[in-house]
Amino acid sequence: MLLECVERCFGHDFRRRRLLARAPAGPLRDYLATPFPAPDAPSRETAYLALDLETTGADPARNEIVSFGWVCMDGERIDLGSARHYIVRLRGAVSDASAVIHGITDDQCQTGCHLESALAELLATLAGRVMIAHRAETERGFVGHACEAIYGGRILIPTVDTLRIAIRAKARQNRPLQRGDLRLSALRQKYRLPRYRAHNALSDALSTAELFLAQQTESVETTLLKNWLTFR
Amino acid sequence: MDVELVEIRDFLAEYAPFSLLDAAALNALPRRLAVRYLRRGSAFPPVNENQRCLYAVRQGAIELRTDDGRLTGMLSEGDIFDQDCCAAAEHAIATERSVGTAIEDTLLYLLPCETLQALRRENPALDDYFVRSVAERLRHGRHALGNGPSERTSLMTLTVSDFVRRAPVGAESSLPICEAARIMSREGVSALLIVDSGALCGIVTDRDLRTRCLAQHLAPNEPLARIMSTEVACIGPESAAFEALMLMTRKGIHHLPVVDASGIHGLVSATDLLRWQSTDTVFLVGLIGKSPDVESLMRASAELPELQLQMQGHGATPGQVGQAVASVNDAITCRLIELALQELGPAPVAFTWLACGSQGRHEQTVHSDQDNALILDDAFDDALHGHYFSALAERVNDGLDACGYRYCPGKVMASNPLWRQPQRAWIAIFRGWIGHTDARAAMLAANFLDLRTVYGDTALLMPLHEAIKQAYSKSEVFLANMVANALKNKPPLGFFRNFTLIADGEHADSFDIKRGGLIPVTDIARILALSNGQARIGTLARLREAAGTPVLSAESAHELEEAFEYFGNLRLQHQAEQIRRGQAPDNYLSPAALTSLERSNLKEAFAVVERMQKILSQRYPDRPA
Repeated sequence: MLLECVERCFGHDFRRRRLLARAPAGPLRDYLATPFPAPDAPSRETAYLALDLETTGADPARNEIVSFGWVCMDGERIDLGSARHYIVRLRGAVSDASAVIHGITDDQCQTGCHLESALAELLATLAGRVMIAHRAETERGFVGHACEAIYGGRILIPTVDTLRIAIRAKARQNRPLQRGDLRLSALRQKYRLPRYRAHNALSDALSTAELFLAQQTESVETTLLKNWLTFR
Repeated sequence: MDVELVEIRDFLAEYAPFSLLDAAALNALPRRLAVRYLRRGSAFPPVNENQRCLYAVRQGAIELRTDDGRLTGMLSEGDIFDQDCCAAAEHAIATERSVGTAIEDTLLYLLPCETLQALRRENPALDDYFVRSVAERLRHGRHALGNGPSERTSLMTLTVSDFVRRAPVGAESSLPICEAARIMSREGVSALLIVDSGALCGIVTDRDLRTRCLAQHLAPNEPLARIMSTEVACIGPESAAFEALMLMTRKGIHHLPVVDASGIHGLVSATDLLRWQSTDTVFLVGLIGKSPDVESLMRASAELPELQLQMQGHGATPGQVGQAVASVNDAITCRLIELALQELGPAPVAFTWLACGSQGRHEQTVHSDQDNALILDDAFDDALHGHYFSALAERVNDGLDACGYRYCPGKVMASNPLWRQPQRAWIAIFRGWIGHTDARAAMLAANFLDLRTVYGDTALLMPLHEAIKQAYSKSEVFLANMVANALKNKPPLGFFRNFTLIADGEHADSFDIKRGGLIPVTDIARILALSNGQARIGTLARLREAAGTPVLSAESAHELEEAFEYFGNLRLQHQAEQIRRGQAPDNYLSPAALTSLERSNLKEAFAVVERMQKILSQRYPDRPA
């Protein structure tokens, strides 16, 4: 099992170099040019970026990114100075339902930034970092789709998924899952993390980063980055 | 720009010192922070943190201990740990360095010390918070309580000498009345001091000219001696102007010669003082003086909480309120004695009614417990006079109780034969305490060292003070016992969530600001005064007098003074709230009702007291346990 894991990790960086070779010049290529954090490095000394996206729906091919929120974490220290929150100028209209969920209206989206500039800044910051997200399929899916649409190339993002970590922990403890147990807020409560009133992409990104800090402290001995990485 | 990280900003805005920042600085603050998470049991500050930081606890709890394991404090939501950012020079208290452990899973906000320095440069209010000495911070804190010193100079702060406008106008007692009237008209005064060979022997006022001369058909060429009042009440130039007004109201007179050892300084009149400020205290004392019976005294006494509330509202200091409250208490006592004398007949031997404890120091608030005693002239004969004074004391003690001054639980009252003694017996009692001190003697002595005359001849008390002074200056054992007594009341360590943190790590819902703050400072001040052989009674007066002597640095004196005033102000604020709600005022404050700034100021004030207690305990290592 360990061997399999190591192979996968090496495979990760191998895949990065293959994609780099094919990537057109620009932000995507620059991102791929930076090596991923070493999977054998202690996880508490790795550089991370916690990302949360809000979207108009679940399908990256048909829906759009409404807002980006991210914050960097170096080792065990979240750097609030790196926090970013961008509302994206939409091409289509915000559906009523997602406007309710995210509290972002059409008007705000009209005044937002272009997807290209937000994405370029994200990739520049993400280079050399591991992404942290809660239920990372959304972030990977939408960022991946945007990269193909804008840069015409595929992206690869080493990822820590706090949802998967929680599922794994539950499975280890042989506890049945209750509805709602795996929601970000429920997990945070378990670790005595404060309840945030506001919900936007940035506060959720920060919430996710804090949750990962707490999850990491559950194992007493030093853990390696690869213990936390998620693969598809 | 949208305000991001709103939650973090809103959280920090609630707690000192960040609450001192303006809106723009607060909005920018979260971006300058880092976040860390400590699992229960981890060391604090985090071992792998390579920057020196200020820490704010967002959630969780941390316990702080010294190297030898003594608990020094606990941090919870909103508490700040700035030990690593504050150079020792910025703290007047040499705080012991503490390290901590997270006792709950804890989320921390970190502000690197370098960033804090930058923030301080940008925000003078924040810089003030860190730069101010403890004393300055507490003084500033008192202003924030809304009952700092009044801007208007009041009769409380002015002294009698402030009202002496001109040299005294005097005449000899042999001068004809008509001559005196001419002098008074020429000088434009309403009273004339009668001085024979340099000594003040009487006073003549406009009223005397009318009632004792004109109305009596007395010839205008008769000497002044025939119409002058000879029992002249005087006051010292350094006394509070307010006290002068009280004295005049109590005696029903309008002029008071100002006299001290160096001679006659002049005259103050009630009109001069009243023009300055009409006070309700004066009115109340007047009302008490005219009360015909205990029932009307009880009604007058019931006004006292309202009076304290008003004074607090007008920005009176705790010292000023203490003066006023003691004046009312004194007036009620005097009136009760007068009523008893009317009933029992004149006293067979001279006596002096004494106040001790907080009344003696003029430091009480509203209706505190009684603390009084009687000194009788040495001509006292128990068989002949015992019954008379027992009846007198009982009437006064009962009357005071009826007026809201409850009986002393320790029976330190004149009705207790132990505390109703001839002068020589009192001297023997004090010598006994000083010569063979034990814990009980030290406790009683502490109370009885704050003696003051309320009614009767001050001369009876004087030899007692002299005897005490002679005896204690020789007795280190006595002082050591006094120190042991003073160390019984320890201030709390601080607060943890809505609890008060006691030294051994116990929690309490509320804390007694009298036992945990005021009394420890009072005890310290008394010991310092004793060891210097100083005879002042009030706590602030004692501290000021001891300041700069070998027993107390000027800086420490200032800190203790500010801590005492801070406790006093907070108590007044607390009692004002209770009076407004119609509750009986007490000394129990709930940490939950305090603001973040008040809590942090209180913690500083506790630390000042604790440090001084430690110094005293080191100075008297051989004190009894």
